[in-house]
Amino acid sequence: MTTFPLFLAAVRARVDEAGARWLDHAVSLAGAGGDILPRAYTAAPKHVGRAPLGLDATERRALAAVAPHLTVDRWTTDDAARCVLLLAAADRLDSDAFVRVAIHCYENGDAREQQSWLRAVSLLSDPDRFMAVAIDACRTNIVPLFESIACENPYPAQHFPERNFNQLVLKALFNSVPLARIVGLDTRRNPELARMAGDYAAERRAAGRSVPADIALATEDGRAAEEITG
Amino acid sequence: MKIFDPHVHMTSRTTDDYEAMAAAGIVAVLEPAFWLGQPRVTAGSFVDYFNSLVGWERFRASQFGVRHFCAIGLNPKESNNPKLTGEVLGLMPRYLEKDGVVAVGEIGFDDQTDAEEASFRRQVELAREFNLPVLIHTPHRDKKRGTERSIDVVRSVGFPEERVLIDHNNEETLPLVLASRCWAGHTIYPNTKMDEQRMAALVQKYGSDRIIVNSAADWGISDPLKVPKTIAVMRERGISDDTIERIVWHNPVAFFAQSGRLDLAELSERPSVDRSQKFEANSVLRGEQR
Repeated sequence: MTTFPLFLAAVRARVDEAGARWLDHAVSLAGAGGDILPRAYTAAPKHVGRAPLGLDATERRALAAVAPHLTVDRWTTDDAARCVLLLAAADRLDSDAFVRVAIHCYENGDAREQQSWLRAVSLLSDPDRFMAVAIDACRTNIVPLFESIACENPYPAQHFPERNFNQLVLKALFNSVPLARIVGLDTRRNPELARMAGDYAAERRAAGRSVPADIALATEDGRAAEEITG
Repeated sequence: MKIFDPHVHMTSRTTDDYEAMAAAGIVAVLEPAFWLGQPRVTAGSFVDYFNSLVGWERFRASQFGVRHFCAIGLNPKESNNPKLTGEVLGLMPRYLEKDGVVAVGEIGFDDQTDAEEASFRRQVELAREFNLPVLIHTPHRDKKRGTERSIDVVRSVGFPEERVLIDHNNEETLPLVLASRCWAGHTIYPNTKMDEQRMAALVQKYGSDRIIVNSAADWGISDPLKVPKTIAVMRERGISDDTIERIVWHNPVAFFAQSGRLDLAELSERPSVDRSQKFEANSVLRGEQR
């Protein structure tokens, strides 16, 4: 089972009748080709709004059963609607056509559209196909966009090669994004990341600056952490 | 004292900035090609960007009495897009021939990926082919390792180190660069990279040989007057005017003169400001013209 029925029901339950009708119609056309999907992807918030999604306890349990590492506490209704549209398209299109249209939605998206896309990327089937986009997203200077791939998102820990994962962690430190928000960091710690964090702490000290307290999360054990922050 | 700001992204700045820079003694600037805050997805965007660096921006600077030079290159971030990289590197030879292009840059590492290294290496080779110096950006993250790797790339290509300016140094990387024969740039930013006081302390510790200071002002929080502000702090701390002038004028002039494209006599005077001139029918003056 995928998250498709769950998010579709969650959005429908939170919008008015016209919004639900729009979403059903957009889902039915998700495999139609041309610019139909990208236009619906862009237009989603006009029809379903941008309110916090706020799943209830039952919905949370259902989500945890199918996507155990995903947290949607920061998602809005348009994020969920866009996720539904991508999942519907993945179901109807052949693999190449889906990858093309999905990447089109990302590359031509504004920062919010890209944010919705990145939040959903771990739910797309065969998500390794989107690795280049996810890694490139980490190069952004738009911090909320960076957070949408780096934080509350299982994708990087599950898919990124070590070098890219380490760069993501360093960039979070650099932008004062709490490391506790990186899903699966504890499973991906490695000696090279500890070395990079140690060098970063040394560079901060040489410049007469403070070292972020949570840098210890990037090192391998508490002892190394004390040496770094000491 | 004349000032050369050897790294500033003027396309992101206003005419007020040009006026203030000229009034503060900035006679010449070098604008390296860089990334525009979000990734470009087609090579055509680079054609227009490079054209603006050698065209409109150069004219705009001249209207405020500032000589504008540029460096042409593909930045490390966008070097991670393989299709774009192939196409942009293919465009570069045409631009490296142009007047006002006095270096290849800014190139180097960001995430320190294999794709970045390949693009970096190829552009150092292009610099050798066109007999131009190279401006190297060092990464924000994992900076010390990135600086070491940058020097390794220069050496493995066999490119002359004295024609390389390694930029954005800090206390940790400057000794590495000075131990090579490369030149060492320092970016003075309001909050990050390096500040005026730390820069003055580095000059007191290491002297002025191969030391360069810039503002790297762009579309982010930055200040195109950071070089004159650093001069003021260096003076307060008792650094001699001879040392200061070497850092803010003679060093960058000597470095970029290696291109063979700086006219030193011309550079010693301000361009005459004639605001009735136009660039392809455009003036910076809007409605103020007679």
